[in-house]
Parts: sequence; C-alpha cells; structure tokens
Amino acid sequence: MKSKKSLVLILSIIISIFHMIPLYLLVSTAFKNDSDTSSKWRLPDYVFTGNFKNAWENAHLGSAFFNNIVITVTSVILVVIIGALASYPLARYQTKLNKFMYIVFISALIVPPLTILVPLYQFIVDLGGLNSYWAMIALNVTFNLPITIFLYTGFIGTIPRELDEAAMIDGASRIGLFFKIILPLLKPVTVTTIILSGVAVWNDYQFSVFFLQDSERLTITVALSQFFSQYNNNLGWVAAGSLLGMLPLTILYLFLQRYFIQGLSAGAVKD
Amino acid sequence: MQTELSHKSEISTIRDHNVINVKLRKKKVKSVFWINLLYLPALLLFCVFIFYPFFKGIVISFTNWDGYSQDYSWIGLENYKRMLADTNIGTVIKNTLIYGVGSTVLQNLIGLMYALLLNQSLKTRGLTRTIVYLPVIISPLIMGYIWYFIFQFNGGALNDIILLFRDKPVNLLSMPDVNVWIITFVNTFQFLGIAMTIYLAGLQSIPTDYYEAASLDGASSFSKFRHITLPMLAPSITINIVLNIIGGLKLFDVIVAMTNGGPGYASQSLSTMMYQTYFARQDAGYAASIGNLMFVLISIISLAALVYLRRREIAR
Amino acid sequence: MKKSLMIVMIVLLSIGIFGCSNGSDKTNASGGSVKLTVASSTADQGMKTALTDVVKAFEKENPDIKVDLQFPGSNYENILKMKMASNDLPDLFDTHGWAIKRYGNYLADLSGEKWAANLSDTIKPVITDDKGKLYALPLNEAKEGVLYNVDVLKKYNIEIPKTFDELVAASEKIVKESKGEVTPFYFAALDSWTIGQYFDYFANPLLISPKQNEAEALQNGSFDWTKWTFLPENFKKFYDKKLINQDMLTAKYVDEAKLFAENKLAFALHAPASIADVKKINPDAKMGVFPIPSIKAGDEPTFVGGERFTLGLWKDTKHAKEAKKLLDFIAKEDNIKKISDTTLAPAPFKGITAGGEFAPFYDQYKQNRVLPYFDRLYLPNGMWDVMCTLGQDLIAGNITPKEYSSKMKAEVERLSKK
Repeated sequence: MKSKKSLVLILSIIISIFHMIPLYLLVSTAFKNDSDTSSKWRLPDYVFTGNFKNAWENAHLGSAFFNNIVITVTSVILVVIIGALASYPLARYQTKLNKFMYIVFISALIVPPLTILVPLYQFIVDLGGLNSYWAMIALNVTFNLPITIFLYTGFIGTIPRELDEAAMIDGASRIGLFFKIILPLLKPVTVTTIILSGVAVWNDYQFSVFFLQDSERLTITVALSQFFSQYNNNLGWVAAGSLLGMLPLTILYLFLQRYFIQGLSAGAVKD
Repeated sequence: MQTELSHKSEISTIRDHNVINVKLRKKKVKSVFWINLLYLPALLLFCVFIFYPFFKGIVISFTNWDGYSQDYSWIGLENYKRMLADTNIGTVIKNTLIYGVGSTVLQNLIGLMYALLLNQSLKTRGLTRTIVYLPVIISPLIMGYIWYFIFQFNGGALNDIILLFRDKPVNLLSMPDVNVWIITFVNTFQFLGIAMTIYLAGLQSIPTDYYEAASLDGASSFSKFRHITLPMLAPSITINIVLNIIGGLKLFDVIVAMTNGGPGYASQSLSTMMYQTYFARQDAGYAASIGNLMFVLISIISLAALVYLRRREIAR
Repeated sequence: MKKSLMIVMIVLLSIGIFGCSNGSDKTNASGGSVKLTVASSTADQGMKTALTDVVKAFEKENPDIKVDLQFPGSNYENILKMKMASNDLPDLFDTHGWAIKRYGNYLADLSGEKWAANLSDTIKPVITDDKGKLYALPLNEAKEGVLYNVDVLKKYNIEIPKTFDELVAASEKIVKESKGEVTPFYFAALDSWTIGQYFDYFANPLLISPKQNEAEALQNGSFDWTKWTFLPENFKKFYDKKLINQDMLTAKYVDEAKLFAENKLAFALHAPASIADVKKINPDAKMGVFPIPSIKAGDEPTFVGGERFTLGLWKDTKHAKEAKKLLDFIAKEDNIKKISDTTLAPAPFKGITAGGEFAPFYDQYKQNRVLPYFDRLYLPNGMWDVMCTLGQDLIAGNITPKEYSSKMKAEVERLSKK
C-alpha cells in the first residue's frame, strides 16, 4: 500500500516537472538580460526585471489589459446570463421544436470561425462596429454560447423536477421558479462556464486582430503578436510580455478551480 | 438563503439517488410556449453572427472573388472541381485528420491516465492538477511560439540537450512527417488539462459503494476499472472525444506559430490552407469552398463519433 | 405581471446587444477635433519611430487634429484586403508597392498637391498612371540590391561580384575558407517572402535586363516557362552546396540580423530595413549593398526599385482636407529625409540626398540601371505567394526545378484568365 502511494507520488512529480517545462523556459528567459546568451535551460543567477518594463511599455500592455478586462468581463457576464436563460427551456421543455433548437445551438460549435470571417467583417463594418467594444463582445458571446448552452442544459437536466413541482404547488410562476430555485443551484456550472469562456475570450486572436485595429483598442494577444513579430530577436521581452499576459487568468483560475471540477462533473459528464 | 441551503442538501440526496437510476425520468411537462422566449437572445445572436455569414460564405464559394475587389463573377462549381484536381489537398486533409484524430486519441488516453492517477488521495495532487491545467490558460498562439523556441534549430532548447549526445543539432520542424506530430503533441499538451479535468469530474461522480460492492465480490482492480470505471465514464468519454475532435480539426494558431504550414504544404491543415488561399493567394472563392469542405468534414466525423459513442453509452 | 416583465427584459436585452450600434469611432471624437486614421505596413522599429515622431510634431502644430497611427505588422495586407472588400479604409494608408494595381480604385488623385512637382524622375512614373493621376505620397524610394556584410567580404578577400557566376564562386569561397562558419545566404520559410525575394530579384537579370529579353513575351502571355527553370535549379544547387542556411525551412527572418551582427552571414536579398537591428546587436557591424549581378553575357548589374513606403489618400475619406494637411507636413524636406535615412533608402524627391549610411553606395552605383520589381510588372496579382511556397516545396524535395516552372506556368495562366 505504501509503495503504491510513493509510486503515485513519484509519477505525479514527474508529470508536474514535464508540464512545467514551457513555463520554466518562459520564466528563465524573461529574467535574463539581452546580452546573456546562455542556454534557455539555465536560470540566470541575477534578477533582471527590465524585460517586464520594456514589454509593458513597448507592447502597450496597459491599454491592452484595460481592453481585455472590459471585453472579457462583459462577455462572460452576458454568456452566463444568455446561456443560462436559453438552456432552461431547452432542458425543461423538451418539445420537438426545442430538441431541434438544441441541435442548432450545439452545431454552431462546428462552424470554423475563418469561413465566416469575411462576411462577418463586412457586416460589422455596415453596422459601424469596427473598433467598438460591443461588436467584439457580441462576437465573443455568440461563439462561446454553444458550449455554455451544452453545459447548462446538461446541468439543469440533473436537477430533479420534483423541485419544480414542489415550488409550483407553493405558487411560484415558471419564471419565478427559474430565478428562485434553479439559478441558485447553477453555481458550479457557472464557474465552469466562467473559466472556459473567460479563457477563450481573453485569448481570442482571430476576431480581435481584424475587428479591433485602432491602436488604443488592441487586445493582449494581438498586442503581443505584433510585439513578437517585431522583437523576435529579443526573447527576454517577448517572454516577459507573455508572462504578463497570462497572469490575470492564472490568478482567476487559482481562485475558482475548486468549483471547476464540480461544475464539469454535473454539467458535462452526466446525462 | 436558507431555502437555498436546504434545497442543496435535498438535491444532493436526490442526485445520488438518481445516479443509480442513471436516466432521469422524462416526465412530460406541458409546454408553455412563451417560455421559449428565453432562448430568443441566443437565437438572435446565432442568426446574425453565425448563420447569416455562414450562408454568405457558401455563396462566395460559387464565385471567383479575389477577396477585396468590388466585382466578381459566378463560376458555378468551378472551385469544387478545382479542389478535386488540387494535388495538395490530399496532404492537407491527411494532416487535418492527424491533428483531429491524433490529438483526440492522445488527449483522451493521457488525460484519462492522469485523471486516474490524480484521483488518488495525495497531498500534491491539487498542485499537479493545476500545473497540468495551466497551459489551457495560455493563448494557443503564444503556446506555439514557446514550443517553437524549444524545437528551433538554432539555439532551440531541445537541441541544447541533443547536442550533449551528438555533435549535430536536428531540425525536427522541417521533417514533413515529424512536424505534423510535433504540432499534434503541442495541441495535446495544451488542452490535456481540459480532458483530464472532465475525466476527474467523471471519476468523482462514480459512487464509491460500487467499488466497495465489487471488492466484496473479490474483483481485481483491473476488472473494477473495466466493469465499473470505464462504463461509468462513458459520458465523459463522449464529451471529451467530441470536443477534442472538433478542436483538433479546427486547429490553426499553433500551426501558424510553429511551421506556418510548411515546408510547402507539409504541415498545412484545412484552416491554414484556407487562410493562405484567402489572403496570400487572393483566391477567396476557392478559400470559401475549402471552408465548406472543412465544415462538412468536421460535421461528419464529429457526428459519427457522437452517434457511435451515445449508442455505446446506452448499450452498456 | 411577472411574465410581461420578463418578456420586456428579454426584448431589452436583445435590443441592448444589437441596438447600441453606430459607435462613435467614425465621427468626431473628443471635443470637435478630427481624428485621422493612418495605417503603415512597416514592422521595423526605426521606421515606426521616425513616422511617429513626424506625426507627433504635426499634432503639436495642429492641436485640433488627432492622428491614430496603426502598425498592424504582418497582418497589414490581410486587414487592408478586408477593408477594401467593405470599402472602409483608413484615411491615409501605405500602398507598399501596389498603389496602382491593387489599391488604385480606392485612392484619390494627389497630383494637385504642392509637393507633387518635386517628385524624383524615377519614382514619379511608378505611382502615376497614363492619365496623370498621382496615387500616393512616397515616403522613400526603393533601390535594392544584394545586401552584404562588408567585413566578411574583406576577411575572405572577395571582390564585389558582377555576374551570377562570380556570386556563386564568392559564396563557395566563403563556405570553404570559413569551414562552414559563415553562411553566404539566409532565407526563412516561416517568413516565406524571403524566398520569393530570390526569384523576384534574379528574374530581372535573367529575363528582363538583357538586350534580348522576355519582357514582351511575359506581358502577352507567350513566355516559354522552361526558361524560368534556371532560377529554381540554381536555388536548389545553392541549398545543396550549403550556400544557404540549412535550417531554411524552419527559420525566421528576425534571426538574420543576429547572424549579420556576428559576421556569420555574407549576403541577403531584401530591403535594408533590418540593418537597424544588426546595428543594435553589434554597433560596429559594417553593411553595404551592391547591384544584383548579371546573368546573361554582356549585361550589367542592376538594382530593383520603385515604390516602398507611401501614404495614399482614401478617395471616400471624410477628412480629405486634414489628411492632405498631414501629407503636406510629411512631405517637408526634413521629414522625408529623416524617413529615407532611417530606411537607408534614397529620397523620393528631387534635390534631397538621403540613404543614411547607404548613401555612398547609391552614389557609387549611380550608373547602374534601376528596374521595377519583376512580380509587380510581369506576374498577375496573387503569384507572389505561389512563388514563395513553390520555393519551399523545392527545397523540401517535393518538386523538381522543372516542376517549379510548370506550376508557375499553370498558376499564371489561371490567374491571368480572370
């Protein structure tokens, strides 16, 4: 028994080390100054933070962070509200129409964003939505809805109907039922949605690169990729910029991860 | 608040009960049509931002539009005929399938192994789970760049190690059959965390008394895995496989960052080929038809997988 | 009651998502001032800084005009294509060699501007059509040849090659005497345009600059494409003889500067913009340029040239007056000289000597002819990428030099039919 436990421990340590490799290389590069050409594996024996300052200033990460936060927070809130609302009838009233609608919603997962990019772009230009937050938010919300509806529908399906019935007998309306009974129970799957869609929106590249061209509206991934093509020979800056870009989400994940598995376990893996 | 708490405990007991019944009773609740209004906002968004441009894309595929002029002409099925004659499309479809199917197999096998391992009671398991999950959070484009610096020929981190054993560095990304798998590996590495987490969630929803009962019957741990774990994980397997197939077949950012589809067409996928055809070749009509091919391909494969897996779930 | 409230909420939410359109981005932002959008294709830090400085000075002089300078880098062309498709262009934008052919329909005529009269005789015809419409303000003038590392050539005692054979001999000498330490040429497939440069540069001495040339055949479609095979054949030979960096298929362009700086690279075939990066790594590095060696007997070396960085005025802009004011400002002698010097290129105006440290080289070779870029004149739009990808296929061993030519022929025919 004990030997099994230590085997598991050793294995998990090996896994951890293996998966830390890219991050380790990123960190070791980010703290080196540019005249240091030692192997990427070697940690510097000094601490050099100039890369972070340079990356922050040259990639204009300040405004990029602001844009990302506005877009991500709004998109995620809307995805949660619209997704949860849409899933309730789909899960609870499984008429022929609603079964069809469910398939329609989920099939949008398959559409490659690239195929619709150009018609979409012309459409957004016609609406006057170029370089605007709302267009970007609407796009992000739309493309994160399929997976959200999938998870919420699955989760609501696991909530026993007896609860609904009991509440209805107590005189609650169907809508009141949703807000009073169902909504409070959706916490774990909501956390899952926040993490999944939050990551997708935060890292979005294909849409932001075309729809937010104004230099004050660049998002982090776009700002970093422009920075990359320009300073590729200055790896330290690039690495520092990447680290800065992933920081907020990492913190968010660390705070929310406790609920994450819980939400997945109910929303996705039961039917 | 109070009601919420009491409901919660109530639910968890009912839920446990339900797991044994597995399928929820589908009691017909009389439909009230107006409640369907709740999905109106979602439906509107889909129509405007997905379905409308999607159909417009289909229309473009019947033209010879160059992607920017105001004029173009109708050429019927010409683009699709060209696709049949395109000598590169075979390689590209093959690569796309490797990215899709290859990462799906890898992510599920490794993800399941990790989940089994990290489901054991262990002090460090939380930390390891977090570490495995972290790459999901990094933008795929940046992930691709990081791995480029590892596999790079000049001064790449991997070659630093290889040089300890032989005197010549290797250029793995230039080898047509190797680089496709390297990209598959990077995609797997990045999204392994999601597969693992879904499996962990699945494992945690298996009631422990199943195992206890099996132990009383003297079942070996392998047979417990075979007869309890695997069947109970069926829904997790389904969702994982379908999500990974769709993600892998649509793969784009990592390829761009690591090889840009090269050398030549050696690591091109349908999405990178579409992008290149659209912008660099100024051949939007053809690009749109490649996009439609991609849509059909993903639909067929993911639907086939879904139907097959759902049948197995029910048949168990 | 609750029902209707809910319905109202949902409708409001739907409207909220779609309703708040027509944002304020196009109209006058911030207190009555005009906002001009200016997009440049450059990814070079030096050029970016120079242009930004000029624009800042302009804003200082004209506090009521705000300029948003955009540098989308490698995405520039893609974004511009989408913008053309939707007829929604920046007020001023870079035409990077395509003022007439690609962007012409979207540009306003600038021939009435004050500065138009001063344009150099070499650049003027490139951006003016036969009706006299002037398509853009050139910020510099391209005059490109073979970039070289002066110290490397000195170290291995190499004369400036005048013919293709001399260039090959020089390259072989460098490899041999440096024992492979120094690479003669650098190409990077991850930035596949570098490969296209080889074909584009040497197509001129092969097909255009000799007295007996193929210019007419290329233009009327009767060109015998087997004559093209010389280029892929030699490219392949270059690679096989290790005259090209062996990691070419996975290399990136940015790493070239480092090799030049460390004196590990002899030649390169592109505009001199990256030299600023070389200097940043090694301030003592000495770089130069010589005209592209001739291929046919009796021919002289030539440069390629024409349009490089420009700013054209969108014909449907709402701020033509302000945009022209900005063009006027940029066209001032100091500003043009500054930009041309930064990019190590000749100035596009009469009477301004520029080119930074390359000025002596331009002076030294002033007798040599400057021909337009081959692809811009003799290949249909869309061929550039074909040329680059085929180059990779060739080195990867997927196609033979002969197949390269036949594929070129097929694509040219397909694209010309349109």
